[in-house]
Amino acid sequence: MSLLKPFSKLPGLNTANILLVENQEQLQHMLADVLVKETPLTVTVRLAKSLPLPVDESRPRIDLVVFIINLTSELSFQSAEDSLKYLDPGYFLGKVCFMVTNARHASVPTERLDALRRLAASLHCPLLFAEDQTPEGVIGAAERLLTILKVSAGVVPMTTALYLSNLTRCTLPPDIDQPSFD
Amino acid sequence: MAASLNSSESDRSSLGGQSASSRSNNRSLRVAEKERRRNEAEDPFVLALKYFSVVEAGTPVVGNDDFENNLVLVERTAYSQGLSPEAISIMLEFAMSLRMGTAPCARVLKCLIPASVVPQEAVVRAAVWLSVGKIPISTQVLFIKWVLTVFDMIDAKDQLRAIYGFIFSFVTEENLCPFICHLLYLLTQKESVRVYRVRKLLELQSKLGRQPFLLHLLSLYKVFCPELVTLSIPSRMRGAFRNHVSPWKAALTAVQKRNGSLAGSSVSPALAVRDKSGSRKRKHCHLQLPALTSVASDGARSEQTSSRTLVPLAHLQSFDQLLKNVHRIELPAQMGSLLGSSVALQYLDCIQDESALLRLNFWLGCALHEEFLFCGDGATQTSEALQFLSRLLSAQHFLQEGFSSSDAFLYKFLNVWDGSLLRPQILCLLSNIPVIPSSQIRKLLFEPLTQLFFTSSLFFKCGLVECLNNMLLKWLTWHSVYALEDDLDISLNSHTSLNITLSGFKDSVMELIHFVGHLASVGLQLEGCHALLLSFVLDFYETVCDTFLKFGLPLVVMPPAGVFYPAFFATDPVSVDRLAHIMHRYKVNLTSAKRQEKQKEQAFHISRQTFQEFNHCVVFMVNCLWNSRMFYPGSDVQPGEELLLGSGVPRYWASFDFIHHPAFVSYALDFHQKCWPSRKEMDLSSIKDSKPWSWYLDYLFSQGFDGLKDFLKSNISRQAAAVDEQQR
Repeated sequence: MSLLKPFSKLPGLNTANILLVENQEQLQHMLADVLVKETPLTVTVRLAKSLPLPVDESRPRIDLVVFIINLTSELSFQSAEDSLKYLDPGYFLGKVCFMVTNARHASVPTERLDALRRLAASLHCPLLFAEDQTPEGVIGAAERLLTILKVSAGVVPMTTALYLSNLTRCTLPPDIDQPSFD
Repeated sequence: MAASLNSSESDRSSLGGQSASSRSNNRSLRVAEKERRRNEAEDPFVLALKYFSVVEAGTPVVGNDDFENNLVLVERTAYSQGLSPEAISIMLEFAMSLRMGTAPCARVLKCLIPASVVPQEAVVRAAVWLSVGKIPISTQVLFIKWVLTVFDMIDAKDQLRAIYGFIFSFVTEENLCPFICHLLYLLTQKESVRVYRVRKLLELQSKLGRQPFLLHLLSLYKVFCPELVTLSIPSRMRGAFRNHVSPWKAALTAVQKRNGSLAGSSVSPALAVRDKSGSRKRKHCHLQLPALTSVASDGARSEQTSSRTLVPLAHLQSFDQLLKNVHRIELPAQMGSLLGSSVALQYLDCIQDESALLRLNFWLGCALHEEFLFCGDGATQTSEALQFLSRLLSAQHFLQEGFSSSDAFLYKFLNVWDGSLLRPQILCLLSNIPVIPSSQIRKLLFEPLTQLFFTSSLFFKCGLVECLNNMLLKWLTWHSVYALEDDLDISLNSHTSLNITLSGFKDSVMELIHFVGHLASVGLQLEGCHALLLSFVLDFYETVCDTFLKFGLPLVVMPPAGVFYPAFFATDPVSVDRLAHIMHRYKVNLTSAKRQEKQKEQAFHISRQTFQEFNHCVVFMVNCLWNSRMFYPGSDVQPGEELLLGSGVPRYWASFDFIHHPAFVSYALDFHQKCWPSRKEMDLSSIKDSKPWSWYLDYLFSQGFDGLKDFLKSNISRQAAAVDEQQR
């Protein structure tokens, strides 16, 4: 029952560690398969159903924590929300992101997406959408995670995780149903 | 009742599965018919239908095994292959007549999945049953919802339009009202708009409040008869009729997909001929555009057209015919079909028919929402979606403007887009978005796009910059066309009443340019100044630098340092050449703006700061490339002398002149070899002497660096004159 800390260990040379947290354990496996194929950088993928993680001294430093949320399931959202408190505040300086699946599904209540947006906006985290139904969608999602992971693992010169998250963090969308131009 | 129904059915399609009698007097045919009927008689499905067509009123439902078995049979067929038009007629008649009470009614309605088309007569007859008044309200709603769902598959709409007033009378029923309004919206024609109907709707509105479904119907009325509806309608309304999404839709799609290959053979020839150009397409793939069909069924068409002298668009083949009949065009039943026909698009373009555009936008908005924002369980078929969007794009390309419903859809879609789904199409649609007022542009476009841009791959970044370049080009072109007509107040879109002032337009354009400048600077930094991204960014600035001369917009925005320096220090000569070209065009634009400003003393004014920024850039480029003075007082970067000496770079001040710039050093080497082939020692600085220097420049220009040529010509007057003299 310990906090996961971002700066408690030294980074490895040319390696990046990503932690995928998903309650339903569907997309994380597919993503992991794509992520580990990245060549110039050694990407280690760790999977979890929820946080906290058991105490394990050999666990390397985690560079990016991704919460995968299936919007059609309330449980998935709840579990991610509960897991958040087991992260060190340092993670919220650009090392956490949310990935949402099924956002375009008809059975998703709009309130749930709004609540998630509010959560991500309040934590200054990016909110990524993914199409998990098709292989292309999974590859696309993995590529976007890699883009963020590379920055948060510090392998992109001239930038930091905090800088990137400042650019990509979620904002609350307007009431688009009624864009009045007056 | 059922018997009479059957005979009328057989007139329409004598080969339909259950049609009872063949009036043929050919003997052998009669034998064959008998044979066929015997076969059919053994088919349990046919028997089941027969049961429902002849079952006595008042037969009990509870404990009735016959009924149960037959209904299960029909349900199974419906969900697997869909029901034939005749079966739909029989089952609908059975359900709505309440012959066995209200209990089976809803159950039967739920399984009415058409395999091909829905006969109009059946729908009209069922609508008549509504007024008998025994049907519970929830079942009535279910029926109307069913009609809305299968509306596109109803084989003709003329009789439904004939009972418009009858359908309208249900509008007072509070629970039915939203659905009735939707149905009326689909059926409304100019003739159906009457004062008393408008009054009724307004009365309802004062009772129920400003309900979107009422507003939508009223807005359509207003388009047809603006003199009758004085109410002001908001220009953009909440998507009103959300009545499609239901189990039927999913079942219908499933059946249509399954029938895809069979449909051609299973539908009787009579129907097939009539429907050749009909809604067949929509059957296969629900995302495909319906084909053009006219409102009236074939039988009724001849007399109807002669009396109303309207020509259905479907009958027109060429532009010539369109011109001859342009004053008496009858719009098709399904507005979506307009997108697929070039004649129809020409009509839309020439006539600017507001009701047609309103209906088309309505259809498009529904289709886009259903397919991309409220998806059902089955994932959208990418190939279908691809085709659909391509058709939409080619229609927009033809009309040279977007549809407001697709814009509204995009604003929502960008917020849930993963950045790779149908990327080329979505980006292309995005570039068709009309000018957005600067107060809204950030929330609607920039915020979702920023998030997508910085988390996506290099290729997405390039694609987005290209898309925004196209958007800017379209905005500017649009301005150069419309601004000539009216100086200050320009309509945002030729069909809306939305206006934007010139200064408002300038603000929006400036916002867009600054936004791309921001994306480009940070993007180049993140991607290590990737040459591909740089090339797209320079494309964008090639548009920006010419806003005044090419598009007549008195606005000049300089590139930010984050774009200028990466382009100047690029290792490929093409980028440097393009930057030089861009700076040259900036100069031409700025000088001509200044001249005009002096001449006309017009209101427009280009700020001092822009000139300062421009001069700063030009001085830096000339100092670096020509004077070999990297660092000079007033430049952006001024490191101390000791620091520069300590760096150990020899002749650091000349590192980026024409000879030593990493982009040109290979040209300098090549020139050196050609100029002094016998020299063993390479001495690049000997090119600096006046004669070889002008040869070297000529050599560079002969390599196709026209941008540099123009830049030098316009900025280094003394030397250029000297070079000219030498050439003579």
